[in-house]
Amino acid sequence: MTPYVITFVLMLGVFMVGCFALKWPVGVSMMAAAVVGAIEGGLGTETIRMMVEGEFGYVDTILTIASAMVFMKVIEDSGGLDALSSLIIEKFHKVPAVLLILIMFIIMFPGMITGSSTAAVLSSGSIMAPVLMLMGCDAVTAGSIIAMGGLLGMIAPPVNTAALIICAGIDVPYVGFTGPLLLLTFPLAIVVVLLLGLRKVKNLDYEKLKPALAKQDEIRKQYGFKIYLPFIALVVLMIFFKVLKLTEDLGMPVIFLLSAAVGLFTGKKINVLKTVPEAIRTATPVMAILMGVGMFIEVMTATGVRGLIVMTCLGLPSVLWLIVACTSIPLFGAVSSFGACSVLGVPFAYIYASFLGGNSVVVLAAISLIASVGDMMPPTALAGLFAAQVTGVKKYTLILKKCIIPIVILLVWAAFFLAKSKLIAGLF
Amino acid sequence: MKKKGILSTCIILAIAIAFAAIAGNSFYQKRHFVEDIVTEGTNVTEVFKLSRYNKNLKGTVGDTKVYVIKGEEDGGSALVLGGTHGNEPAGHMAAIIMLEQLKVTKGTLYIIPSINASGLTHNDPLEGSPQYMHFTTPSGEQRVFHYGSRATNPIDQWPDPDIYTHTSGQSLSGSETRNLNRCYPGIKYGTLSEQVAYAVTKMINTEKIDMEIDLHESSPEYAVNNAIVAHERAMDVAVGAKVELEDREIGMRLEPSPVKLHGLTHRELGDFTDTYALLLEVGNPSQGRFRGYTDEKLVLTGEDPCYVKGYELGLLYVDYSSGNFPLSLRVARHITTIDELIASYNNTLDDDGRAIQVENWPDYEEMVNTDDLGLYLK
Repeated sequence: MTPYVITFVLMLGVFMVGCFALKWPVGVSMMAAAVVGAIEGGLGTETIRMMVEGEFGYVDTILTIASAMVFMKVIEDSGGLDALSSLIIEKFHKVPAVLLILIMFIIMFPGMITGSSTAAVLSSGSIMAPVLMLMGCDAVTAGSIIAMGGLLGMIAPPVNTAALIICAGIDVPYVGFTGPLLLLTFPLAIVVVLLLGLRKVKNLDYEKLKPALAKQDEIRKQYGFKIYLPFIALVVLMIFFKVLKLTEDLGMPVIFLLSAAVGLFTGKKINVLKTVPEAIRTATPVMAILMGVGMFIEVMTATGVRGLIVMTCLGLPSVLWLIVACTSIPLFGAVSSFGACSVLGVPFAYIYASFLGGNSVVVLAAISLIASVGDMMPPTALAGLFAAQVTGVKKYTLILKKCIIPIVILLVWAAFFLAKSKLIAGLF
Repeated sequence: MKKKGILSTCIILAIAIAFAAIAGNSFYQKRHFVEDIVTEGTNVTEVFKLSRYNKNLKGTVGDTKVYVIKGEEDGGSALVLGGTHGNEPAGHMAAIIMLEQLKVTKGTLYIIPSINASGLTHNDPLEGSPQYMHFTTPSGEQRVFHYGSRATNPIDQWPDPDIYTHTSGQSLSGSETRNLNRCYPGIKYGTLSEQVAYAVTKMINTEKIDMEIDLHESSPEYAVNNAIVAHERAMDVAVGAKVELEDREIGMRLEPSPVKLHGLTHRELGDFTDTYALLLEVGNPSQGRFRGYTDEKLVLTGEDPCYVKGYELGLLYVDYSSGNFPLSLRVARHITTIDELIASYNNTLDDDGRAIQVENWPDYEEMVNTDDLGLYLK
């Protein structure tokens, strides 16, 4: 496997040099690493075909991100975001702890029904960001709550894409996951949001806050109920197509765009030709990262680097497997959390569910929670980067630092489920 | 400065267009590549399209060819499905070799080598798979076949839902909506995959096919490996074949079809038709997640240093002590197992009115030891 090691080192080296020495965008650095890996790995004339094919691995995610960003920009420019923030504060300011927990569940909701942390952070996360900040959270704390809400939302039932990917890999039907996933995510969500935010909001004084809300209150008065229509459209469409499944699913991109279209007529005047390109420009770096990730994984797989990583992890002594699972899966998530589910999640699921005789449902649920941490890992860090964007935090690493303790708690909780899967399964 | 910016933008755009053109051409060629399956000089008695059993398939890539080898004497019938998953080439190649080689003296053999024809026209993104497999025939001619994807081509069926809900109510990953072997018994007006599955179910019911065998491969680390998966009604047939195979020193696991896992041939065709529903699995290192360098050579030879390590660590469900698992061995296992399943099916009959008699089976040992499967192609 020595040639694989050389390819891996070379790919990693080019990526690091591109990112840190040459200050290239992450997506471009990944593409450069993929090109060098492909040439060194001897893919020859197949290089271009594989790189383009790899990009297609993330087409659906890219469409969701682009459309979510258009929705976010529209509700921001229309004044809807300001209006909703002031309304929530007004109604729930008397019980800040309960309000925090409620906000956490609201952040999680889009993730729960789409299986995507990005959808959660960009939709309800962006709506809740100003609320959290008005309650007294600084931008980094607000961003951290939103990012963690995104992670837990993508794992909470009913839709857990990470678990679904692993299910497909080991032929397990996505049945019986609701209980274990609820137990995995909701207690964690309460602990995390209180840990991060309670100290900041417990002295919330609404009277003192009122002058700061003057602009938002003005928008509410000016446009009345109709300012909330884009949010209502988003929630209704999600429930209609994702929860009740009354007809064929429209898909998140169309749902975001329809809700954004409603927002064009419900508040301040919006110049579509300015707002939409601005939204796409904002989303471009992340979309570029995903394209780079696609090329990177495809070349890694073709050149044997993927196999090298998997076998290196599984080749460690079995007593270390739990630690290896809790570190290697999130670390691979730096490339892609869903990629980590497929590349490492599936082999670890084989190990724990089949080889060690654990309960497959609990094992898969736990591994999916571990994999969610990948969405916080730089450079891709979809949840973290977008949380920084919606809260106006310049350096995403500040959010990552703030989230370290919650992430450790999350991993310990997931490791317990993984190690004691049969015991947990007995509860359901 | 501005001029420099425009220039660099133009250069990047030109490179992107060139990349798109080269890759696009490659995808186009694969999409339109037609495998040359030979019927001339074989014992094939009829070729028709699957749309005979679901008119909605007409004009679509899903309207695949059904090859019939009918014996002179009436008898029972069997259906062999290859190419359900395009990245499991042993099933596809076994079906092609069977239709080009076998002779039926009693009963009828239906062979569909490319049951998910759409899945063969592309590759799975992120998997780094080769596009084609090359073989040299005894006459020295080179024949080329698809190496495809596990799923129907998104060009034919897209977008995927977040969750795929099977007609039984079972939830699966959204991408499984393009996995033909999760779509049975099928829906007449459903997605392309569901329409194909519906046609197969209808064909079995219409033609009263006695036994159906779906050919697959699985990762060596997957527990269901080198196995016959049998619907409960087909268990006696499977047990008989397993005993005979083990007499020939061909190890074979026997797996009952899980009652709660829906959409698969061995479950739904057994429940929704009267056929004996069976599925065969054989270990394939080129589709597993432990695999190293992925190319046509890996598909053909099954030689992989990562799987050697996996075997040493005791993580595999196949005997990988030889350090390889060649396509010739995988195809030989499939063909020989089908031979034994037909023999076992005949043994279960009270009278031989519905028996199936087939000749010209390739010799197992010879096939396993061949360097090029092309020797078994016309």
